[in-house]
Amino acid sequence: MRSTPRAAALLRNFLAVLTAACLAAPAAMAQLKLEITSGVTHPVPIAIVPFAEAPTDGTDVADVIQHDLVGSGRFTQLERSKMPGTPTNAADVKFQDWKAAGSDYVVVGQVTPAAGGQLALDFNLLNTLTGQSIARQRFVGTVSSLRNAAHRASDVIYQAVTGIRGAFATRIAYVAIAGQGTEERFQLVIADADGYNQHLILQSRFPLMSPAWSPDGQWIAYVSFESHLSAVYVQRVLTGQRTCVSMRAGINGAPAWSPDSKKLALTLSGDSGHPQIYILDLATQHLTRLTDTPAINTEATWSPDGRSIYFTSDRAGEPQIYKIAASPGGAPQRITFTDEYNAGPHLSPDGKLMAMTTRDDSGSYRIAVQNLTTGDFRVLTHGRLDQSPSFAPNGASIIYAQRPGQGQAGILATISVDGLTGLSLKPTQGEVRDPSWGPFIQ
Amino acid sequence: MSSESVRDRWLSIGMSVLLHGSLVALLAVGWWHFRHPAPAPTPPIDATVVDARTLKGAGVASAPTPEPKPAPQTQPQQTPPPPEQAAEGPPPPTPDELAMRQQAAQQEAEHEAKAQKELLARQQAEQEKQAREEQERQAAAAQAAEDEKAAQVKAAAQARQLAQAKKLADARKKTAAKLAAQKKLAEERKLAEAKKLAAQRQAEASRQAEAERQARVADLQRSLREEERASAASGALASWQSELESRIQQHWIRPPTAQQGIDCILNVSLVSGGEVTDVTLGQCNGDDAVRESIKNAVYAASPLPPPPNNIAYPHQLEIEFKPTN
Repeated sequence: MRSTPRAAALLRNFLAVLTAACLAAPAAMAQLKLEITSGVTHPVPIAIVPFAEAPTDGTDVADVIQHDLVGSGRFTQLERSKMPGTPTNAADVKFQDWKAAGSDYVVVGQVTPAAGGQLALDFNLLNTLTGQSIARQRFVGTVSSLRNAAHRASDVIYQAVTGIRGAFATRIAYVAIAGQGTEERFQLVIADADGYNQHLILQSRFPLMSPAWSPDGQWIAYVSFESHLSAVYVQRVLTGQRTCVSMRAGINGAPAWSPDSKKLALTLSGDSGHPQIYILDLATQHLTRLTDTPAINTEATWSPDGRSIYFTSDRAGEPQIYKIAASPGGAPQRITFTDEYNAGPHLSPDGKLMAMTTRDDSGSYRIAVQNLTTGDFRVLTHGRLDQSPSFAPNGASIIYAQRPGQGQAGILATISVDGLTGLSLKPTQGEVRDPSWGPFIQ
Repeated sequence: MSSESVRDRWLSIGMSVLLHGSLVALLAVGWWHFRHPAPAPTPPIDATVVDARTLKGAGVASAPTPEPKPAPQTQPQQTPPPPEQAAEGPPPPTPDELAMRQQAAQQEAEHEAKAQKELLARQQAEQEKQAREEQERQAAAAQAAEDEKAAQVKAAAQARQLAQAKKLADARKKTAAKLAAQKKLAEERKLAEAKKLAAQRQAEASRQAEAERQARVADLQRSLREEERASAASGALASWQSELESRIQQHWIRPPTAQQGIDCILNVSLVSGGEVTDVTLGQCNGDDAVRESIKNAVYAASPLPPPPNNIAYPHQLEIEFKPTN
């Protein structure tokens, strides 16, 4: 076909208009690329909605979970009064409402009777942003284990959101002093990590000191003066069966379990009067001496790999922390150089951080951590007399003894390793001291 | 040395010779008169004063210089005879007296004669001595003149040689100077030429450089203008991108496990209002908490801020979560 000049002109005009239109339109984009290189470390907003509970011992499961999570410093709660509703199962959750209330997560659940007079705890962790269920689980147990079930729910939630294993359903051991004067009793207590659920495993009219959980969770070692002289005992937690492992002349103190739970590092002075670090093989009773200086060497603790011992020594005048091989012949290496007083070391489960008691410029004793790789030293607490730090098995928190004021009884407290979140444990009657955080419960 | 001064010198030499000759002649005449006490009267001076300058050709012929001065012919000059002694005395004496006088006179005459003789001898000796001395002087003078002449000849020769050498040297110098001047001129011309050439080249180079610079500037300005025109939209786009990233970062609650080394891709679907409608996890090396947290970050940031007017809403975002510390 042969186009006429008129048709050709029309075509030209049409093309011109089309081109102009294409050029005038905004550039079309199929995909835009962004790069996020940082974020924030805010606590995650979470709402723990009260559980629907069958008649129990009065345990508020939601409250236990909330206490755990918020106490870790990783979460921030939505007050119950601000909750847009009280759903107890996922189907009833209106995500938009919870999102609007500022919660990224909602936990709903129930405690229902289970077979055999037990209770079942069900919970569901919901993401209000995505509308998805992140974790849901059921724990069944006796009524008395409801708190523990709640702690286990906290562990699951904590790990789902933070990526770190929770350590709420763990236990602690500590020494309590009850009564006064002739009625004074020294007690060895184990409790849940939040201080509840206390069990007395030993009581004595004579001082008890330095309890230490074995890494396998089966034993607690401690120092007792029940025979008027110091002696080191190990006691099976479940049965109460106990054995004196060291009652040598002089000081027998500061037991510390090896990672394999087969040896104890001890402080023994013998007749010399100079406490030295030894390793006692519990199976063979073989004793190996590690230090040999005319100074105080005490408060041993093991590195997670079992190759090194960290301990306190005043060989340089003031107490400082040293490291020595956990086999004979090693040369001690000084680890702490900040402040004039650093004592009572305890290593994090990954071996990267060392907690200790430090005396700062104001003369106060506080809990500090030192990064063993970088040497970075940070004081975490702000008390007057804080001491005896012990890492949680997940390394996220440290429990320690705190004496709030002159003449006041000592209490226990936890502090997150970033130093941002502190929590006092359930108040107890009388003095508590020497906490030791037990391992994960298998 | 000018010929005038040469002539003066020769004249003075001639006059000196003439003077010495005259002295010798006077001595000779004196001697002759002494020997011949009564000389015959001589005619008046029969001599002509000769101008040495007129005596051409006489004297030393070897001298190339004009007006040689021969020793002038000297004429013995007329010297007045010595005065005769006249006998004068008191009144005549007595015979005894006369005899005595005669005897005395005789004795005196003898004495006189003897004294005369001695005087003559002394004079002769004196004259001989003088003549000898004069002769020696003359000889010395002649020798001196000869020496002087020779010296002069030598000096003249030397002067000539010097003059010639000088002339030659001058000539050479002149030639050399001329050559040098020519060379210098040539060099200057060459240099000027080179300078001119260099200047031309430089000017040319500068011109080219300037032209290139201007071209570049023009190019740059053109491309800038083009870029400005073309990227007015993309500048706004970059700004909006930053805004989006910032908003998402503010909503990303990093779990402790979101450490450096984590690298996760999220593909995000949007609707025009900026609302996130879907999030799909792409490649990701993080744990569940990390995956959860980045999805939450995007949803929490929703609705995303709208793009500038001239940019179409992208309905897909690819977000890479890559913590740097």
